[in-house]
Amino acid sequence: MVNPYALPAVLAVTAVTVVIGAYGLRLARSTSDLLVASRTVSPRWNAAAISGEYLSAASFLGVAGLVLKEGVDMLWYPVGFAAGYLALLLFVAAPLRRSGAFTLPDFCELRLGSTRMRKLSAVFVIFIGWLYLVPQFQGAGLTLQTVMGWPYYVGSLLVAAVVTGNVALGGMRSITFVQAFQYWLKLTALAVPVIFLLLHWQAQGRPEVTPPTGNTFLATTTVHFDAPAVLTVTTPTTVTVAPSSTPRLLQPGKHTFAAGSDVTFPAGATVPQVSGTPDATGWLHPGTVPGGLFATYSLIFATFLGTMGLPHVLVRFYTNPDGAAARRTTLVVLGLVGLFYLFPTLYGVLGRVYAPALMLTGDTDAVVLVLPGLALGHGLAGQLLGALVAAGGFAAFLSSSSGLLTSVAGVFSTDVLGRGSVVDFRRGALIGGLVPFILSLTVAALDVSMVVGLAFAVAASSFCPLLVLGIWWRGLTDVGAMAGILVGGGGAAVAVLLTFLGYTGDGLLATLLHYPGAWTVPLAFTVMVGVSLATRRRVPSTVGLTMLRLHAPEALRPRAL
Amino acid sequence: MSTEVATGAPPDPTSYVAVQGSPEFAALRKTLRGFIFPMAAAFFAWYALYVILSAYARGFMGAKVVGNINVALVFGILQFVTTFLIAWLYARFASRRLDPVADAIRTRMERGEQA
Repeated sequence: MVNPYALPAVLAVTAVTVVIGAYGLRLARSTSDLLVASRTVSPRWNAAAISGEYLSAASFLGVAGLVLKEGVDMLWYPVGFAAGYLALLLFVAAPLRRSGAFTLPDFCELRLGSTRMRKLSAVFVIFIGWLYLVPQFQGAGLTLQTVMGWPYYVGSLLVAAVVTGNVALGGMRSITFVQAFQYWLKLTALAVPVIFLLLHWQAQGRPEVTPPTGNTFLATTTVHFDAPAVLTVTTPTTVTVAPSSTPRLLQPGKHTFAAGSDVTFPAGATVPQVSGTPDATGWLHPGTVPGGLFATYSLIFATFLGTMGLPHVLVRFYTNPDGAAARRTTLVVLGLVGLFYLFPTLYGVLGRVYAPALMLTGDTDAVVLVLPGLALGHGLAGQLLGALVAAGGFAAFLSSSSGLLTSVAGVFSTDVLGRGSVVDFRRGALIGGLVPFILSLTVAALDVSMVVGLAFAVAASSFCPLLVLGIWWRGLTDVGAMAGILVGGGGAAVAVLLTFLGYTGDGLLATLLHYPGAWTVPLAFTVMVGVSLATRRRVPSTVGLTMLRLHAPEALRPRAL
Repeated sequence: MSTEVATGAPPDPTSYVAVQGSPEFAALRKTLRGFIFPMAAAFFAWYALYVILSAYARGFMGAKVVGNINVALVFGILQFVTTFLIAWLYARFASRRLDPVADAIRTRMERGEQA
């Protein structure tokens, strides 16, 4: 169903992004301007920009999709995304700000005095950045596919091209304003439709979210299966399977449908359960996540400890004029982010009532996009709200990928291509945008949130131990840090690549690969500490001074520094 | 670009090496650590409690409070609230307990006293 208002809305958001970017362009004159906005951004703008940048496709589309599919367990993702900020604030933000290191490679060189370590961390920054860019482009492809019926690659290409151009030409100064604007747009795009959805739900006498007999289709619904599906039917249901028009009675039990089937369910029929997803009771009860308790622990490790290692998050703290402003900013950010997550959760819950077909096909990431139309009908209200949500989605993809690409391009320009000139930065932006665009075409089948979760896992098993130990423990050596990152971060990276290459399977190995955090993070810490102790003589002689520089509050520092 | 800032030799190490050795600075760091580490441990435990209850006290977590809202959902929302609360406590702690001490040490340094 093509929504006539969606394309103008999406294009308007994209155009505004480009225009504000162009406005900021006039202000960006040197590389230092490009990278840290010259520290002139006010805390209010900054907090909105940080939130705007942080709330990506995973938050906008993915969280609602996971709540719809797996149930309340999936609150772990938003809780972890917010708590990760807390860990960053407590352990890393202030010392790193004082250090004067703008990027993770800078920090490595400052603390460990090792060029090789600097290069290794540059590789990981780029890898994590790419990994995190993939789901943004994926979300864009899904959005235009859902609201316009266009091929998946069109949306990916649109966002990849706009962001690459914007970052290459404008840099960070311009995206600060763009991202602050995009936070409010994202919030509005989810909040306004949800008010209408809740009023509608109320007016219908509040249909149960998890009726004991299972959810029912409210209208005649045709479900298209891209992949073969096994459905468990609980009550006898009469369906038609295209191209045949003769009704077919499904008796209670398991029924298999081939890939490409179109199955039409009548209004009032009970929604069958797809193998591998929880039933109504399981949905409401925690502890039924696929992969079990281990997957939950992995998710907690990855999100709680991974945020501090995301390249685009750290650099934002330099746009605060001092430490007190940085703390105020973080508080506002936590408030804004927490407020935001109320809404995707509500979409996931209401999706049980109004969009049960998505549970059958597994396209649950689309729930935010289709819910207004399904619940409110395809009249003017439903279409306008649907267009608003699509526009908000584009704001999410554009803002997150801008921040990520700025970091990736920065590291490319200083550590891979050359000495950090503006030309290097622009070339870095081109390469940085192209690779994840290609990757996004190959992983279309994975849940957006799952890909983001994997990026968090790699960050948590590489940069989290490096930062926490580097800041709080004098004994860290360059060899120890390198070994820890190679073993822990490398392990997580291999797990991610295998998942990307389509490794599926059951049992322990699949769980270990799809949810690596719970084994790679402790492994990285252990190796880092162990090898550092074994190479104790390599502790830099300047470690005392470095530690003082990291920990002495601003007020204590000699003015010259 | 930023490398120069990050690795350049500090201008005058002696003045703040003296600060580093001072009991006031040691106390300052101890105060900071005394807040951060217990707080992080407490939060992690609170986090883990949710997981453990989900796995081993399913009846309790599934108990309905109002309508479709069960204990698990209330717990989940509380996780958000506590995250914000700890960040707020930290900001308040830093501006009341850390900044004044740091300012005091700095004033003495500037007057040229041995810290």
